[in-house]
Amino acid sequence: MSALPRPSTLFLAAITTLVAMLLYSPLFVPIVSSFFTISHGDVDWSSPTLSTYRALAANHDILAALRTTLIVGMCTVVLSVVSGTLLALYYHGRRSGRSVLQFIIFLPFLMPPIISGLALLIFFREIGLERSLLTVIIGHTVFVLAIVYRTVLMRLQSMSRSLVEASYDLGATGWQTFWRVILPNLSSAMVGGAILAFALSFDETMITILVTGTQSTLPVRLWAMMRLGFSPDINALVALILMFTVLLCVLAARFLIPRQMATERA
Amino acid sequence: MSKAGSTQPSERHLSLLVTVLAFALPVVFVLVPLAIFLVYSFFSVDQGTIIHAPTLGNYVRFFTDPIFLPVFWNTIVLCVSVAVICILLAYPAAYFLTTLKGRWRYALLMLLLVPLLMSYVIKIYAIRSILGLNGFLNKALVALGILEQPSTLFVFNMNAILLTLSLLLIPFAILPIFLSLERIPQTLLRASDDLGASGLQTFLRIILPLSLPGVASAASFVFVLAIGDFLTPQMVGGISGFTFGRILYSQFGTAYNWPFGAALSVALAIVVICAILIGERFGRNRGTSI
Repeated sequence: MSALPRPSTLFLAAITTLVAMLLYSPLFVPIVSSFFTISHGDVDWSSPTLSTYRALAANHDILAALRTTLIVGMCTVVLSVVSGTLLALYYHGRRSGRSVLQFIIFLPFLMPPIISGLALLIFFREIGLERSLLTVIIGHTVFVLAIVYRTVLMRLQSMSRSLVEASYDLGATGWQTFWRVILPNLSSAMVGGAILAFALSFDETMITILVTGTQSTLPVRLWAMMRLGFSPDINALVALILMFTVLLCVLAARFLIPRQMATERA
Repeated sequence: MSKAGSTQPSERHLSLLVTVLAFALPVVFVLVPLAIFLVYSFFSVDQGTIIHAPTLGNYVRFFTDPIFLPVFWNTIVLCVSVAVICILLAYPAAYFLTTLKGRWRYALLMLLLVPLLMSYVIKIYAIRSILGLNGFLNKALVALGILEQPSTLFVFNMNAILLTLSLLLIPFAILPIFLSLERIPQTLLRASDDLGASGLQTFLRIILPLSLPGVASAASFVFVLAIGDFLTPQMVGGISGFTFGRILYSQFGTAYNWPFGAALSVALAIVVICAILIGERFGRNRGTSI
């Protein structure tokens, strides 16, 4: 597409810059306010401060929510990676019933979260499961499973069949082939899937609001606080989370992009 | 992988377990809840208790009550507008990405996608403060002389929801459009150039038609995400910005009518399924088959 004349390239570059600015402006606001005080909509640039970070360290409410989020995220990652990998291994190379079951796995990801969340809410009530962290973890796992499944399945499909055949030819049992040939080949896809799953779980708000009990995760806690307006220490938390997500993103890119650059919904 | 070497009994048990799990997991945790949900939409509520007797009352109420259909329709219009805005902004950006070479292309793509990973709630809050009376948007417009004084046009109404959702969902439009643009073979463009077409002609007659599948998927992504959102309207919509998602959510909170909420969800699901099918239909057809 190098045939374009220069003015149109400039126009495209200008729009792209505008889009980048639009996308980053909402991130910019809390980060600036984590270092500077804002009063009446004006930033006081003269006195940078770290007081918001100190206040954050003393805010037990938020830290507890953060801890809950991390617990939920870890459990979700373990559950979704194990079951997503199992499902991918099972469905890979199998024809009967695969497309239907695959569609079912993708449903919670395709449907609006409010529908998945409400369906689970009613389901938990019908089977008599109290709303708790467990229900949140189940909700998150159901939601992110599709992503892990797809990531692992794509790696499986790009893996040469002859690797497995070679392993059997050399006398390895099914288990040995699995542990020493298949799993090592899948590991980077599993790590990439795990990072995506964690990132999605970390920020999941709508399903969580519907299925959570008394303990709230960070986004739900923030949502509840937002009606009253945020205290400045939230901005510090946001700045930290942003740094953390960028780091996660770089990691995910490292594990996923070399092979599947064009096809992943990173 | 379990079919080979399943001679030992322990492995056979394991493969049976895996088979059962592979079928049971999706069915129990996805299909069953959705089925119960559907059944709930035929129940009713009497003084706070759910009556487990089938009735079409919820659906009749949805179609006859003067409140729900207009809100439903307005929400669909709103979400279509969000999709249009997102595509108008995302298309040039995605196009620009494909004009870049190698590393830069993907670095910039990443840069445009990173905001997706940032906390949704925080972004809504930040956007609200940008759109507000003392916000950056008003300040800029006043400074530029476009507005005499700060306006309340951008908060707590439908405009606010439109702007906020568009801002939140642009990355979801960039990715599919970028992928479809990237897939267009360079040889086609060179052929067009060789045959004497101008840059504009090449764009209108080759690039644009071949990228339409990406635009269709982008539109359906954005639409589905926008229509399912109940947090944004709640936060920036105020009293006048009433969307379907909010009504639906309120059935499970203040209004406490789960069966009616389930019926509203069925209506929402039908629209979403249509949007996904349309996106699939037009998103797949061409583009790759050259």
